[in-house]
Amino acid sequence: MSKRKLIKPLSYGALLVVLFLLPLFIAQPYVLHVLIMVGINIILASSLRFIATSGQISLGHGGMVSVGAFTSALLVMKLGLSFWASLPLAGVATMILALLVGYPFVRLKGIYFAMITLFLAEFIRLTAEQWKRLTGGVAGIIAIPRPNAVIIPGLLNVDFTSKVDFYYLVLVMVVVTLLILYAIESSRIGMTFFSIQQSEFLAESIGINSSSFRVLAFSIGCFFAGIAGAFYSHYFTAMSPSSFGFLLGINVFIYMVVGGMLRFYGPIIGAFILTVVPELAREVKEFEPFVFAGILLLIILFLPEGLISLPQRLNRIIKKRFSHA
Amino acid sequence: MLEISGLTKYFGGLAAVNELDLDISPGELVGLIGPNGAGKTTVFNLITGFLRPTKGKVVFNGRDVTGQKPHFIAKTGIVRTFQAITIFANFSVLENVIAACYLQAKLNLGEAILHTSSSRKKEERVLDRALEIVHFVGLDTPKDTPARSLPHGYKKILGIAISMAADPELLLLDEPLSGMNAEEVNRAIALIRRIWERGTTIFLIEHNMRAAMNLCQRIIVLETGRKIAEGSPEEVKANKKVIQAYLGTGKHAT
Repeated sequence: MSKRKLIKPLSYGALLVVLFLLPLFIAQPYVLHVLIMVGINIILASSLRFIATSGQISLGHGGMVSVGAFTSALLVMKLGLSFWASLPLAGVATMILALLVGYPFVRLKGIYFAMITLFLAEFIRLTAEQWKRLTGGVAGIIAIPRPNAVIIPGLLNVDFTSKVDFYYLVLVMVVVTLLILYAIESSRIGMTFFSIQQSEFLAESIGINSSSFRVLAFSIGCFFAGIAGAFYSHYFTAMSPSSFGFLLGINVFIYMVVGGMLRFYGPIIGAFILTVVPELAREVKEFEPFVFAGILLLIILFLPEGLISLPQRLNRIIKKRFSHA
Repeated sequence: MLEISGLTKYFGGLAAVNELDLDISPGELVGLIGPNGAGKTTVFNLITGFLRPTKGKVVFNGRDVTGQKPHFIAKTGIVRTFQAITIFANFSVLENVIAACYLQAKLNLGEAILHTSSSRKKEERVLDRALEIVHFVGLDTPKDTPARSLPHGYKKILGIAISMAADPELLLLDEPLSGMNAEEVNRAIALIRRIWERGTTIFLIEHNMRAAMNLCQRIIVLETGRKIAEGSPEEVKANKKVIQAYLGTGKHAT
């Protein structure tokens, strides 16, 4: 292997080591909490972009998070399942819902698809609020158990009483999610998604069943939203139908657009920056939606390809200056 | 091979295609001509499932495919190109053709995630095929150039390359020469003939009358949704109805 080919895996490896060792140096629970939220938002924004690779924008990702959160909480509390079983099952349940609504939904394209996913998120919230026996209605569910301890004598003792344990759980979830999403995106299936995004007519004319592929992209994306929701409910240990939903879905969309949709790492950058920056300005937390909307508008106007295109942009501007001088 | 009977499509009260019957036999190169608005592209859309016929039947190789979805029809062996530039604009030329080899590369989610050796072998075969097609149509362009920055004529040729990648038995070309300059037209005509010589049956719509006459063995003339003439280029050229359709009846002209 040439030197150049080695740089990429090596730098990813180094980044992973840094992230793995981070809790040794930063032990403040608050900082760890912010990093945990960064991780979950990375999962959400990346899975939303995964759906978008097939040419469809979902604004209902928050609703899917809600489904995953309720599913996992109820499986653990009512059926006594272990968190380690309910975590993947929450993803599967969310995926099944996405499959069921996906087939009628993908008849709609563009903005109409986005709208119906938004309605679905609201529908999920309203249903959860009315279905009091199951979800506790508007008040929601409290005292959701923390994840079951993982104890391998002499090797591992994780009981989820400290934020560090959650940090490592999120780290693993993020790495696995990104590896899976990247593997699919760079495969022929990913290529088929991008084909449909560019021209659904042309894709159909060469034998691609565009509806099925759009449902596939939608349900895989929603699987990870469900997983993220399951994590949320056992991390916060309380949730209500309005914990996730409309606003979360919009925020995740903003992370994705602000970071940049054209590259795999765009939503990762967007989720990181837009999770960390508001924490630095906690005193004005209530203005967050305004600030996010402002950032979104500025990005759309001046950096339509997102923050990831900023270095390129600056480069071009600097070059221009020099050529004039 | 392709048998169409009584094909009718109403848009509101207007019959865009009216009781059309036509047959295409294996190995033919057939042209569909007619004045603007005659319903030529509608016929293609009806055959390939982009529109559902109001009435009538489309039978391909003995199988009734009327009203099926476009991707299903592509699988049975009828592939069409589009009149307007229709390509995967952000892909390179080669990626366009690789993506279009979809039907040859059977997909499987597990293989895709794990990049198994069998999936890699499949991809290698697809790559070979795509390179062969790109070379065949003469589109060897720099590797990373997105297709959107190609000149118009090249984009049209790429559209044909994409359709070839889907390995059609019957290829429907919707105005393959439109917008091309004289040199590009000659190259495209030669390409269409070479595709036909490889054994693909071709049915094409063309506005360039000389090209259509020169390419096709048989020509079908459509006017306001009805077939008004059919035959060899010479027969069609001499047909009174055809002359009237193109030049008018003479009442106003004199």
